[in-house]
Amino acid sequence: MSKILVVDDESSIRLLYSEELADEGFEVVTAGTAAEAAERVAQEEFDLMILDIKLKNESGLDLLQKIIRERQNLPVILCSAFSCYKDDFSAWLADSYVVKSSNLQELKDEIRKVLAKKAQRQNLH
Amino acid sequence: MELECCWKTEIIESAQCPNIMDDERELRFSLKRRLLEKCLECPRFGNDLEILARTEPSLSMVLRHLAAEYLDQKEQIHYMAGFLNSRNRELQFLHEIGIVLQTSMELDEVLSVAMTAITAGKGFGLNRAFLLLIDDEKRTLNGYLGVGPKTYQEAWQTWEEIGRDDFSLREMAKIFHDTKLSFEKAKFQDLLEQLTVPLDDQSHILNRALLNGKPMLVENAFNNPGVDPVLARILGVDTFLILPLISRKRRIGMIIADNFITGKQITGDDMESMEIFVFPAALAIERASLHERLQEEVEKLSKANSKLKEQQELIVKMEKMALVGKITSSIAHSIRNPLMIIGGFARSLQRKLDENDPKREYAESILYEARKLEDALTEVLGYADSLHPAMDVWDINELVENASREMRDEMAKQGVVCSLDLGINLPMVFIDYKQVAFCMRKIIGNAIEAMPEGGMIGISTRADDHDCLVLEIRDTSTTITASLQDYLSAPSFTTREQISALSVSLCKMILEKNCLSFHVERSTEGGTRYTIRLPLKKEETFHE
Repeated sequence: MSKILVVDDESSIRLLYSEELADEGFEVVTAGTAAEAAERVAQEEFDLMILDIKLKNESGLDLLQKIIRERQNLPVILCSAFSCYKDDFSAWLADSYVVKSSNLQELKDEIRKVLAKKAQRQNLH
Repeated sequence: MELECCWKTEIIESAQCPNIMDDERELRFSLKRRLLEKCLECPRFGNDLEILARTEPSLSMVLRHLAAEYLDQKEQIHYMAGFLNSRNRELQFLHEIGIVLQTSMELDEVLSVAMTAITAGKGFGLNRAFLLLIDDEKRTLNGYLGVGPKTYQEAWQTWEEIGRDDFSLREMAKIFHDTKLSFEKAKFQDLLEQLTVPLDDQSHILNRALLNGKPMLVENAFNNPGVDPVLARILGVDTFLILPLISRKRRIGMIIADNFITGKQITGDDMESMEIFVFPAALAIERASLHERLQEEVEKLSKANSKLKEQQELIVKMEKMALVGKITSSIAHSIRNPLMIIGGFARSLQRKLDENDPKREYAESILYEARKLEDALTEVLGYADSLHPAMDVWDINELVENASREMRDEMAKQGVVCSLDLGINLPMVFIDYKQVAFCMRKIIGNAIEAMPEGGMIGISTRADDHDCLVLEIRDTSTTITASLQDYLSAPSFTTREQISALSVSLCKMILEKNCLSFHVERSTEGGTRYTIRLPLKKEETFHE
């Protein structure tokens, strides 16, 4: 079972993701702040991280850079309310991007795609 | 004592004097004029003086001396008159050149006058003239313009033409400027290219003449140790004149003139006359060159100024756009998150509730409304995005595949089948990917909405004859959506307010802003065809 870390400052979104992704057979851990997420990543192994670009008073992109430096093998899917996040070069470090929507199908598809790529990479090594 | 001549008679008959012509009849009535103009040179008067000498030897001798002196003075006066006439003509010529040179600011016009003055018969009448100008950056003296015939045949033809038409020097210069200048430049191009002398070569005769600043008549050029044999070979003449062009101590260049065709000797007088001409010519050439450079600088500054204005406008616009971006981003975040939560949980509830549970309908309603709000938000954000065009080269087939994949769920839900017919090896198009993809999704969305009972959407791409690709979206709809109805009834919208809520019209505005043509056709049997033409080349597109 793949273990996913969901980082979003909205508790309702964390709950929604937890339920929906659990229904899809994933193990979900959530974090509401960048510090909490960094701590989780330091302590546990995750297969994937879903990261909101705009956290309360924090930038998800700063966290992304930090995570990438420390855990190069952890794939990250960026979530945003507005598609212009792609204009920021640091967003290009992520493995995938999804615009937030009440229909989580696109997110679920991306999760599977990214995990499949990760598995492919691991098999190669 | 019988005298032969009539010089003592006051009034004579025509037959008495063989020297009086028909048009000189008045001399018959004026002894004084007749004596001075005719008798003193008449042999019969000489004979009479011989006869007089027999009786009045002293008087005869005095008369002989006076007659000889008179004739001598008369000859000198005649010569002086000729000299003054020639000087007068020369001054008139210089005056004429001076006026043109002083009034003209165009370099080619000044050069036309100067070169015509040297080579025209009404001017200094030399056969050929070459203008060499100094290139300050390269520190060389370069051949710039050559004027005159290259062959005997051409020379005779030109002189014949000039002889036929009695043009003034000024008129000749104008004709030369208007019709012959570019031809003459090209005619001597090979020779001019060879006439390049480094300014540092102080021993070269051209540099010596420049330094001296005075006209120089070069003779015996082929055997003159002071003349570069290469220069003599290039010119092909033994004698030529070098006229340095110096304006206010600044060296401009020089004119080399010769009689290549006639071989006529160039005299010191020719050189002196030209010395007077060369100074205003140099001044005029310098002034025209400076004027030309000034014009270039003015043009550059003017271009820079307009560019600066454009940049300023762009900065103002970008600042506005950045503000719009910030506002929309903020709105997006504060609206999309709650919408996502509402819609997401409604979807979750809907899925988990039993099919017969009445609460399922509530969940469906919440989900439906949330989706509508999400669509409206996407449209608003899409419009905000359209304010930031990012033109680049894209593969249209990739865009079509991505956009149709994104609409896959919606199509499936409505029972709509999508088929793609994409052209092979299509060239890249120059478009704003996000904006065109947005429009395509909007059109597909509109087509889905128009087929509530399901149907077909066909998307095709193909190359067109006119440097563009054609993207076509067809549906099998039997109804027309409100958005399409609005578009078809008034396809030209002028204000943002009018189009803000109308997706097909919004698409048209966005596409046209990108210089893409958009056309909608409704078939009588049903079905709508949306056609977008996309340009291939960068320079043909996008005007904001």
